[in-house]
Amino acid sequence: MAIETAEPATPALGSFAVATAAARRRERILYIVAAIVLAVLIVIPLSSLDAVQAAGLPLVMDRYWFRVTTLIAMFVIIAGAWNIIGGLTGYPAFGNVVFFGIGAYTAGTLITRASLPYATAVVGAVVVCAAVACVIGLPLLRLRGHYFAVASLGVAVATGEVINNVQFFGGASGIFMPIIRSDLLFYYLMLGGAVLTVGTTWLVLHSRFGFGLIAIREDEVAAGVIGVNTTRYKVAAYMLSAALTGLAGAIYAQWNVFIDQSTAFNLDVSIDSILMVLIGGIGTIFGPVIGAAALEFLIQTFAGSGELAVWTQIGLGVLLTAAVIFLPRGIVDFFGGRSSFTREYVRRTLRETGV
Amino acid sequence: MAELIVLGLLLGGVYVAVGLGFSLVWGILNIVNLAYGALVMIAGYITWILSVRYGLDPFLSIPVNLVVMFAIGYAVQYVAINRIVRAPFLYTFLITFGLDLIVVNALLLLFKADFRSVNTFYSGASLAVGPLVVPYVRLWSLAVAMALAAVMWLILNRTRTGDAIQAVGADKDAARLVGISLRHVYALTFGIGAACAGVAGPLIVTYQAITPSAGGPYTLQAFVVVILGGLGRVSATVVGGMLFGLIEVLAQAVPGVGAGYTNAIAFAVLVAVLLLRPRGLLGRLA
Repeated sequence: MAIETAEPATPALGSFAVATAAARRRERILYIVAAIVLAVLIVIPLSSLDAVQAAGLPLVMDRYWFRVTTLIAMFVIIAGAWNIIGGLTGYPAFGNVVFFGIGAYTAGTLITRASLPYATAVVGAVVVCAAVACVIGLPLLRLRGHYFAVASLGVAVATGEVINNVQFFGGASGIFMPIIRSDLLFYYLMLGGAVLTVGTTWLVLHSRFGFGLIAIREDEVAAGVIGVNTTRYKVAAYMLSAALTGLAGAIYAQWNVFIDQSTAFNLDVSIDSILMVLIGGIGTIFGPVIGAAALEFLIQTFAGSGELAVWTQIGLGVLLTAAVIFLPRGIVDFFGGRSSFTREYVRRTLRETGV
Repeated sequence: MAELIVLGLLLGGVYVAVGLGFSLVWGILNIVNLAYGALVMIAGYITWILSVRYGLDPFLSIPVNLVVMFAIGYAVQYVAINRIVRAPFLYTFLITFGLDLIVVNALLLLFKADFRSVNTFYSGASLAVGPLVVPYVRLWSLAVAMALAAVMWLILNRTRTGDAIQAVGADKDAARLVGISLRHVYALTFGIGAACAGVAGPLIVTYQAITPSAGGPYTLQAFVVVILGGLGRVSATVVGGMLFGLIEVLAQAVPGVGAGYTNAIAFAVLVAVLLLRPRGLLGRLA
């Protein structure tokens, strides 16, 4: 035992740093930085308003940047939502995009078929996603590890295929929605969703519920023994994750005006969001935010058509492989001096995970 | 009906070939190889090149494919995946997905997105038994798949290497204590798995055109086959593959269900088996 405690204090994969005084101080700094960044993000886009432009102030954000930042905010929601079920609870749902799709299709159907106002449709989408997560979560969350991962992936692929074949949901030609032309609206909606997601993660992590989820991740049987109702906790986490992902889907549907199987049930969304959480730092509050911003920025910068797009995908694959091998704890591990990226760090990581 | 059953069994033969390597790697190394379909596609393209450039028969290209794919698999495991086998399973999932991205897009650069298929002088020929018409290529494919299953069984159960592989699958730390090199056996197992993809690829291009991204469905089908049959036995994969071939053909023949539902059928089977009998029809208890 004594020898083990003498080991350098690199946190084990997925575990949390002990809340020492130094860690608390670092955490506080992180919150302050986050608040400043958020304030900037709220103010800057206002420069595109006609009144501001008329006053001769510079245009800081053009349409391209609106698109990139809105997409980043969207992935903060999706990655953060995945983090709740995959990072905190330890149930890596590979098909969380199913809720993005269901959210988008619910909103689209409510708007076009029931002529409901947009806000109502968004709320409806969130509720439907949580309900679906409850229904499919009860059987699915009995599975563990690979089995859960692939079963959830299967639900996503199958749901997308079924919707693609059902005429009520527009079939293969998808759904067109009435256009709402406002970059600002969707930017603020997505940003609001992102703040909501981070706030939810914070709340969960600082609550009895969150401790229960972490107990399930570390050892589900033991969690049950100490009195955590594991089924209820897991399903609740899954519903929370689904509701947030569905929110992103509902906002996206109207923003994009058009949805079909390939846009709403795109498996890349699932995979990219998992990669974002992993690069940022799994099981942490700001990990998904950092990962989403970094990765989506890269993807959008290098996105192109033809050969360039193919090279981007290859780069993404290499990044994914390298991140998994060398940085399994994510970039967040290097913030505020918890660890530093040295050869010793890499060697220790490799020794810990390899044969 | 009889025709559907024959068709299902023939399709099942390909699924057996696809499932064997996937099952081995999963059962022994506990790695779900999401790049498996991409490996099958590499093998398909090797057969295509050999056929188009050198006029080699697709079935005769299998030995070449076996060697090349084994080497690729061994190298990938030794260099990359071996470094994270002790990490949580999510990481092995992600690394194989990363490899899948790399392989699929590299194939796109090399071969473009065009459909490629291999035609032989006997491609159109069929065997007629009464009302049944069975293309020869499908029959040969079934025979090759069965031969592959037999060879796999022999390797795993009648050789020292097979003993070492099974020992690693049972308890890797105990295996190391008796002198087995984990790095080598892991790489060997992954290499054999890739070699199975090297057999499946040529079988597939004889009756279906391939594209760089056509591998995904095969990963999925391999998964369903393994779940259906059960993990850790060659016989289970054979049963799972045959049964899945049958289910797919029969389900698509139901009015109102067509080829548009291929994935939905596969996943319906998958989820049903996982919930009703998680260890598969013939699987061992974990």
